[in-house]
Amino acid sequence: MKAKGEKRAVALNSFLSPDQKKQVLRSLHEYKFIFISPEMLGVHSVLERLSEMNISLLAVDEAHCISQWGFDFRPDYLKLGHFRSLLGNPLTLALTATATEEVRADIVKCLGLEKIHEFIYSVDRPEISISVEEAGYQEKQKRVLELAASLQGPGIIYFSSKKMAEQIAAMLRGKGERAMAYHGGLEQENRILIQQQFINGQLNIVCATSAFGMGINKENIRYVIHYHMPLQLESYLQEIGRAGRDGSESIAILLYSAGDEQLSFQLAEGELPDQFQIERLFSSAEEKSISMSEIKQHEELFTGYCGFTETQWRFSADFIESRSKEAFSIIQKKMGNYVTERLQMKKTKIFEMLQYIQHQGCKRSFILNYFGEPSSSRPQKCCSNCQLNNEQYFYKKEPVPAAGPTYYDWKKELASILRQVSETDEKEQIQ
Amino acid sequence: MEITYTEAVILYCLKQLKGERTIFSLYHLYQGKKSSQTIQDAHLYHLTPFFQAFPFISREELARQIERMEKKSLLDKKSNEHFILTSTGDLKLGEYFQANTLPPKYLDGWRHHHLTALFWERLSILVQVCSNLVYQKKSFIPIQNKLETLDWVKAFIKKRQEGRMGLSSTLFLELLNCFQRDKTIDPSILVLRLTGQDRIGLTSGQAAELLGMDHTRYQLEFLNILHFLIGTVSDEAVEFPLLNALIPEAEKPVPFTLSTEKTFQLLNRGYTVEQISRIRNLKRSTIEDHIVEIALHIKNFDLAAYVPKDKEKRILEAAKETSAKKLKLIREYAEDASYFEIRLVLARNGDQKWK
Ligand SMILES: [Zn+2]
Ligand SMILES: [Zn+2]
Repeated sequence: MKAKGEKRAVALNSFLSPDQKKQVLRSLHEYKFIFISPEMLGVHSVLERLSEMNISLLAVDEAHCISQWGFDFRPDYLKLGHFRSLLGNPLTLALTATATEEVRADIVKCLGLEKIHEFIYSVDRPEISISVEEAGYQEKQKRVLELAASLQGPGIIYFSSKKMAEQIAAMLRGKGERAMAYHGGLEQENRILIQQQFINGQLNIVCATSAFGMGINKENIRYVIHYHMPLQLESYLQEIGRAGRDGSESIAILLYSAGDEQLSFQLAEGELPDQFQIERLFSSAEEKSISMSEIKQHEELFTGYCGFTETQWRFSADFIESRSKEAFSIIQKKMGNYVTERLQMKKTKIFEMLQYIQHQGCKRSFILNYFGEPSSSRPQKCCSNCQLNNEQYFYKKEPVPAAGPTYYDWKKELASILRQVSETDEKEQIQ
Repeated sequence: MEITYTEAVILYCLKQLKGERTIFSLYHLYQGKKSSQTIQDAHLYHLTPFFQAFPFISREELARQIERMEKKSLLDKKSNEHFILTSTGDLKLGEYFQANTLPPKYLDGWRHHHLTALFWERLSILVQVCSNLVYQKKSFIPIQNKLETLDWVKAFIKKRQEGRMGLSSTLFLELLNCFQRDKTIDPSILVLRLTGQDRIGLTSGQAAELLGMDHTRYQLEFLNILHFLIGTVSDEAVEFPLLNALIPEAEKPVPFTLSTEKTFQLLNRGYTVEQISRIRNLKRSTIEDHIVEIALHIKNFDLAAYVPKDKEKRILEAAKETSAKKLKLIREYAEDASYFEIRLVLARNGDQKWK
């Protein structure tokens, strides 16, 4: 928003130092738009300050995160209901790109909304052709390189593994493509650079994990390929929806090898602590008489002792902290049940994804049906089961000449960045 | 068989360590760990240039690299985690030195590590902002996203008087002059990373690839240029007023002990004494000692947060009254003052008056 010229916008998030937070809170009334991250909803000083103000509109983005049925349920979002009543129940706008009926009902309930208007836009994007391709485990790599070489870019290729994203990006560069990998393991500065290079057209292909795409507004993405299947249809739709924002025809291709779902199951399990880890967590806390309210101060101890990944630890610590007033054994039991339930739900989601992949009928109808929409008229280039027998239509219109090595003149470059005349330019002008 | 740049760097450092330190002390050196052990080692074995040379390296990565070099018979395992160069390793390193300089000429991690990242963040955002200003582009996504850095650049531009064209040309000329001080450095290494209004800077990996340089080498050469810039513009403030202003007074090297420096950084970020003692797991009295040390060295360090103004006045009067630095005596005059407050006020106001 600031980039678009609206100066009266401010962000309240956990990246602020105590000083900055104080400063922002003090001058909060000067802003027209306040962006607040979910974890700040638990900060007393923030809530207090906001409740003194007269808020005319509360907008909740990615509202499906509030629902326990949602695929990326975030516990912090549950605080939104209380938050809303604290603000005096202002007019509320809940936005989500992918919500089934269940999720929508959950959003209404959790936010405590009474009089509601639902605006449901079809999830259908007729300008995106949808294709699912089966390929043997060995062939898949060859196939993705082939597609990247022939399809008209710019494009995004999604992976479940950082390593794979890096590998394919390097191979593509080896073939002269302007490709880079993007994932959560990159340094902050590189993330910004790669994202901006892609938007600016300096890159043609990004090999990404799901960390890429949020908040990116690039209109001319022509294809989205999935090298691994996403964990649920909702995120699949979100990811392919990044194509064709300009309304021009684009293609989404999902590559599937038999057994890919095993990786999905592994990933789903890795996001939550398992029963054994929970057991260890509680028994070691009891042994060392660490109370539930100070659990977060012992990150290293528990991470080492229970073998938590970062995600597992963050989940466990948040879960316990928000219930620290309850009895030890009750929290343990609740956590166990919760994890079992969530895992079951995630598995169901993966099976649904698999059903989609194996569905013999129209893929588009399957998706619409999943989101409770009637099948609309099918676009001409609908899906791989509706006579979209090859993707040649989406090939490069003309071959892009590979950029040869050019002599880099730093003086000229620096002069052009800062709009100065460099010596080299002067010489050229004299000649 | 030629050795890679990474191998040369590791051989060089391990040779300096003479098998007397583990590879983890090397890891801490590369990371720039501020422990007295690491700092002493860096000085003892003349490895100060490499302090914080690879802040993002992981322990596993380094261990794997060393294992590979052992397999290539460049290194010999003396005992667990202690390695020395084999005769091949020594020979290869010697050969390498005939064609290359190691460490790069200006690399001085120990002297500049605490300014390096900050200087780069400020320089790169300043260039981007200037570029968008001179081309009159209003909206762009900043390439640095730390709030401090963005606040800094906003305030910096506001303070300058020369207008958008003037600012850009000063920046251009200072960079040009500075780079031309030494022909052995290649400014492309840095310029490729800069972002302007119509082009986004390259990542370090991309820049290395474009220059056909080994990535490890590129990283050290990039630090080399930054250290060259920081060194030159702080030694010659008159020649480079604009670039020198990227290095704030308070960030310039201070004669603090490491622990005090850490406390100082936290105080600057707005943490209270209680919070710091909790974060650092140190006693409150220790943090108070640090604050007294800071007040001694930094003249404009504001005491108001620790001693109310009126109390400061009474303590000073009491000090004059007793004309001695005896805390106990002063306390008899200013009963409500704690020892910490008294020490702080005395530190600030110098002892010369009472000596
Ligand atoms: Zn169809
Ligand atoms: Zn330092």
